[in-house]
Amino acid sequence: MLVTSAIISGLGLGSMYGLLALGFQVTYSVSGTVNFAQGSAMMLGAVFAYTFAVTLAWPLVPAVVLALALCALYGALVELVAVRPFAKHGSNAWLMATVALGILADNTVLFTFGKEPRGFAMPWATGSFQLLEINFSLLQVAIPVVGLALAAGLHLFSRRTRLGKAMLAVVQNADAARLMGINVPLAISASYAASTVFAGAAGIMIAPLFNVHSDMGTLFGLKAFAVAILGGMGSAWGVMLAGLMFGLTESLITALLGSAYTQILTFALVIVALALMPNGLFGRAAVKKV
Amino acid sequence: MTAGRVGPGAREWFALALFAAGFGVALAFTAVANSYYVFVMATMALTAVAGIGLNVLLGLTGQISFGHVGFYALGAYAVAILTVTAKWSFWAALPVAALVAGVTGALLALPALRVKGPYLAMVTIAFGFIVEHSAIEWRGLTGGQNGIMGIPQPSAFGLALGERGVAIAAILLAAAATIAFRQLARSRWGSAMRAVKDSEVAAESIGLDPVRVKTVAFTVSAACAGIAGAFFAPLSGFVTPSTFTFAQSILFVLAVIIGGTGSVAGPLVGAAVVVLLPEALAGLAEYRLLFFGALLLIVLWAAPDGVVGLALRLAHRRRATRLPRTGKVEISPQPAAGLKIEGLGIAFGGLRAASDVSFEALPGAVTSLIGPNGAGKTTVLNMLGGFYRPDEGSIRLGQRALHGERAWRVARAGVSRTYQTTQLFATMSVAENLAIAFPRCAVPEVEPLLAFVGYAGDIDARAADLPHVDKRLVEIARALAMRPSVLLLDEPAAGLSRADKERLSRLLRRIADAGVAVVLVEHDMPVVMGISDHVVVLDAGLKIAAGPPGAVQRDPVVRKAYLGEEQARLTAHRAAEGSLGEPLLEAGRITAGYGAEPVLNGIDLQVREREMVAVLGANGAGKSTLMRALSGLHRPVGGDVAFAGENISHLSAHQVVARGLVLVPEGRQVFSELTVLDNLRLGAFLRKRSSDTDLEAMLTRFPRLRDRLHQRAGLLSGGEQQMLAIARGLMAKPRLLLLDEPSRGLAPTVINDLFAALDRLRAEAATILLVDQMAGLALALADRAYVIESGRIVASGPASAIASDRALEKAYLGSTGGA
Amino acid sequence: MKRRNFVALAVATVLAFPVLPAAAQETIKIGLVTALSGQSARAGEAITRGLTIAIDELNAKGGVLKGRKFELVRRDDEATPAKGVIAARELIFKEKVAVLFGGLDTPVSLAIVPIINQEKLPFMGPWAAGTPITQNGANPNFAFRVSAVDEIVNLAMLQYAQKTFNAKNCGMILVNNPWGESNEKGLLAALSAKGMKPAGIEKFEGNDVDVVPQLTRLKTAGADCLFLVGNVGPSSQVVKSLERMGWKPPIVSHWGPAGGRFTELAGPNAKDVHFIQTYSFFGKQTRVGEKVMKALMAKYPDIKGPGDVTPAVGVANAYDAMMLTAMAIEKAGSTAGPSGPSSSTTRSSLWA
Repeated sequence: MLVTSAIISGLGLGSMYGLLALGFQVTYSVSGTVNFAQGSAMMLGAVFAYTFAVTLAWPLVPAVVLALALCALYGALVELVAVRPFAKHGSNAWLMATVALGILADNTVLFTFGKEPRGFAMPWATGSFQLLEINFSLLQVAIPVVGLALAAGLHLFSRRTRLGKAMLAVVQNADAARLMGINVPLAISASYAASTVFAGAAGIMIAPLFNVHSDMGTLFGLKAFAVAILGGMGSAWGVMLAGLMFGLTESLITALLGSAYTQILTFALVIVALALMPNGLFGRAAVKKV
Repeated sequence: MTAGRVGPGAREWFALALFAAGFGVALAFTAVANSYYVFVMATMALTAVAGIGLNVLLGLTGQISFGHVGFYALGAYAVAILTVTAKWSFWAALPVAALVAGVTGALLALPALRVKGPYLAMVTIAFGFIVEHSAIEWRGLTGGQNGIMGIPQPSAFGLALGERGVAIAAILLAAAATIAFRQLARSRWGSAMRAVKDSEVAAESIGLDPVRVKTVAFTVSAACAGIAGAFFAPLSGFVTPSTFTFAQSILFVLAVIIGGTGSVAGPLVGAAVVVLLPEALAGLAEYRLLFFGALLLIVLWAAPDGVVGLALRLAHRRRATRLPRTGKVEISPQPAAGLKIEGLGIAFGGLRAASDVSFEALPGAVTSLIGPNGAGKTTVLNMLGGFYRPDEGSIRLGQRALHGERAWRVARAGVSRTYQTTQLFATMSVAENLAIAFPRCAVPEVEPLLAFVGYAGDIDARAADLPHVDKRLVEIARALAMRPSVLLLDEPAAGLSRADKERLSRLLRRIADAGVAVVLVEHDMPVVMGISDHVVVLDAGLKIAAGPPGAVQRDPVVRKAYLGEEQARLTAHRAAEGSLGEPLLEAGRITAGYGAEPVLNGIDLQVREREMVAVLGANGAGKSTLMRALSGLHRPVGGDVAFAGENISHLSAHQVVARGLVLVPEGRQVFSELTVLDNLRLGAFLRKRSSDTDLEAMLTRFPRLRDRLHQRAGLLSGGEQQMLAIARGLMAKPRLLLLDEPSRGLAPTVINDLFAALDRLRAEAATILLVDQMAGLALALADRAYVIESGRIVASGPASAIASDRALEKAYLGSTGGA
Repeated sequence: MKRRNFVALAVATVLAFPVLPAAAQETIKIGLVTALSGQSARAGEAITRGLTIAIDELNAKGGVLKGRKFELVRRDDEATPAKGVIAARELIFKEKVAVLFGGLDTPVSLAIVPIINQEKLPFMGPWAAGTPITQNGANPNFAFRVSAVDEIVNLAMLQYAQKTFNAKNCGMILVNNPWGESNEKGLLAALSAKGMKPAGIEKFEGNDVDVVPQLTRLKTAGADCLFLVGNVGPSSQVVKSLERMGWKPPIVSHWGPAGGRFTELAGPNAKDVHFIQTYSFFGKQTRVGEKVMKALMAKYPDIKGPGDVTPAVGVANAYDAMMLTAMAIEKAGSTAGPSGPSSSTTRSSLWA
């Protein structure tokens, strides 16, 4: 039972990491940059949804839709103010600018939304059922399903559609992409919007299991970055799979060895994995020529 | 602005005075200020020291670390444990702290060196977390969450230092670290780090081991952070895990980036911002972080290259140009040795790129490797240079076996090389590029060597800013600086004008005559046939012929595989001969440039429908800039560019494409990670419903692409990539196709194929504007031609008239073009 | 030049702020170093509110020492000792506060205590419960507290568990921070005093979503009662995880999660958690309790009833601590300067 319940916890957690990590993957595969404050985007999704659905008592569907739309807007803003001004000149200061913007977002929420964590209960989502003597909550099952569906969608989009391929072309050779008629700034901006929508979706789905708070995304964002890297940043599948593996590893270590070892061992495994596979578990090396 | 740059004396003294004054004021202030300010000054100094350590990694070596707080913590804990638990004196604990951090840094380098960019960032983040959580969990040693309290303050000369004393020591440490960084940046090791940062490949080819350089950088950087941490422990009197969080690592990176990555004073300025800004905002209580975040963004916007970078840019004065002085230079190798290659072979994922290649490159001789694109020439060169590890066969330099050695060892053994796309250390000056390549014991004869290769430019210019031909020359000079026995050259003549090619030929001959074994991979037949002693012909990875140039040229097998029969005859008749349509493109007084100096000075140009127009001119005349300006890649552009009656001079590239003007850019620029099929489909990106018939038509036009349809484009040979680039451009069904240097770097047969394809397009009455080195072929195809020089049109007229004007041809085209 | 304007703005902003707090000389400055941002922002705010209500009340009565009024000066320590130490120094040496109040993080307080003992400035701990803050071995000792001492709370937790639930095999589920660790020590000491051993000790991060693996370990180890230590958010994660597991052991909790929002966050099972706490605004109040409640509702519009005073103990402790401090200053009969001899009188008054 120890192992089984750890596996279920791990898969649930892992798919949340994966979902958030897709946000890193989607911008990296288009622009070679990421929003280091991805956790803030996740927090914003939950905060917006809470504000509309609970504070303003809207029905859930319009509340979530508008929350995600605002997330998309925030993503475009991140790209516009914290990435574009630096990436344009080949400066790596976007690393720090996205962090600064994250601090700004977290603290703005702290003073507008409130300093107290809030509970975002969705009875239909948190209700549990029993299977093989183990309790599942509906959401615990729903998150992996949605995560995998999004990963599949993203994968098909980038591998099968005209637009998806165009986005991949941008990172390989922006000038050539422009010569194909691809609006490069728009493509990058769109990738950031998509990235924060993924993060926001993750935030909204995690909220009922968690609580809504300006600080809720910090640790998540970091672990999601680890997952994105482990997944190789290349394919949505890889990232999602890496998420599941990361979640499983974490909860299995906790269950079998105790929580004292969780962080140390998990991060040590990250280093070992990257040392052995420098392009991530599911990445592949770029064409190397001189 | 790089760190080790030696400016004029006055500026140097000014910087030094500023530095001394700054530290003097800091020391004096710390000596009298109250305990709060003392503590702030000390924190600033320690942040600066950690930042300087990080700058070795980030600024000099180009490696990011988001885990430096781990080293800082190791230093602090080492001192805390040794002084509190083991009752050591601080001064005994300090070196141990530095050692612990340094050794850990070296150990972390092992996994860290295998990864790059964000992957490296993650490895270092993970490291920081491991240190933090180990400090929490290893309670017996570290005191767990509550850490270790009551760390004694050190004494010096029998006097208790107290807080003020530690602060002053920290400031002195920061001053020492700054000086040490400056010295490091100017030393051979510093140059090596910057070389590795700019180009690992090139660093290896001048005998630097990137692994070793990066490991040293990691170690130094970690030790520096460890020392800063060691001082932090007695200063604050406690260490706890929550002091050494990820956020602190970010602050260190912030200090470096805000100050100016790679600059000597950067971390000092950055530490001041990172420490003082929150203190200045302390009165805001809970709103402090909010304002801190906002002000950070503002600082980053205002100074994306860091505060020091901004200051330097504002104070920038152009330095006097220093031209290389001539002098005697000795390049003959000691001892002279040849390269003997036997049975060399290699396969990539089942694809044999070379098999059973044997030849000998003798000292004092030019041995050329020729063959069609994709024949395996560069692959062989890569094996000789140690960049690839051959699967079979042997390589011997004199008596020494080089088979399977790493590139930097091969380079040290006496085999140096240049690259198809030049691999200079882009942010270093010409002089620095050479200086680093000289053997440790040798006197760097930078200027005579530059004069020897014929470089006549500024020796302090940044390598990245050099014109193409100068990059080639400097790269050859750098290779020679190592006093190599063997010099490997990969297409050195590509992209050079006829006159430059002739100068290059003479240079290569002189190098060989000095006793160096020159191995040349080159497509340009006049160059190859003119200077080679021995020619080896490869096709599909196999040696098909070898011998003196004359014999090889007459070899029927070679003619068939490589040289082609006669020069492709352009026989197709234009379908629309004599029925040119309306003007499609009309450019009036185009001006464009980079920075202050204009490259285009008022170009007037016209292309009518169904017309083929060639633009000719020497290197650096502005041909490529013209193409970029017309296609929208280069903005802003002065003057008018009217396309089909609409002004497009303000439109960006993707909008220009939408109007039917499509550029096939210089250097192919295929999407190397996408398949050939995807590349072609992207060509038709704006035509929402590109039909399979279009694709089929394109594959019929370029049959070689059909065989490669599902391969990654990056794996194609140069000729195939060029075909793909043109096909991709045609997929857009352009009204006007711009072709920029399509024949560059292609084998003669491939060029013939290429021009045949262009001839077919002409016959189909496509409208084309062509820029090419192959003036003869271009003029044979074109209806009209423009000749440009220094950004101005100096001649224009029917192609036949331009072609027959010998004077023009000689002046601007060197001599008769063509293969 | 747009950029130059940015720089000018940045410089102006930086320069403007330090000038602001230069206020009247006659007031007695009360310093507060606590977490005001991030995860613990709410707790910092609770202390602020308790102090503010007390100071308003004192000032309305005319202050102390013949009309000298109090003024609160707050600094954010971002829950890290290094930041807290700088902030404490700034308050002591630059702002020249008379008394320094600590925040909720034990390590921050532990790091500050040596400075205040060296500068002979009274320190008051309204929240941080770490035992060594006041038992620091210094003589004379300038650190005081109204906060609970973990060791005493832990004893009470064990007693409660034994008495109410007849617990034999208790498991600990503690937040992974200094507070959790301090409780781990206290609980272990309390257990071993009774010749008992814990069923298991598990920790979780403040931002963990799923605590099931840790709880499953405790369940497998046969725990019949859980000791919970964590603030309201993390504690609710434990309760929610228990609910998912369908495990309902009795839970005895430190007072961290006590307050209005716990039920909202933890769901229906929150009622199964029993708190050991020093104060609550629920139930029948003393005269002072009613007065403070009224003042809170008047001053802060978001407080509409006792349920909105969260965390209640933080507010109440801060209020009491401020009142005690004012009494001590009045009794010492002098203006408590930063390093004058008078502060030691304030100290002895506080001991009295």
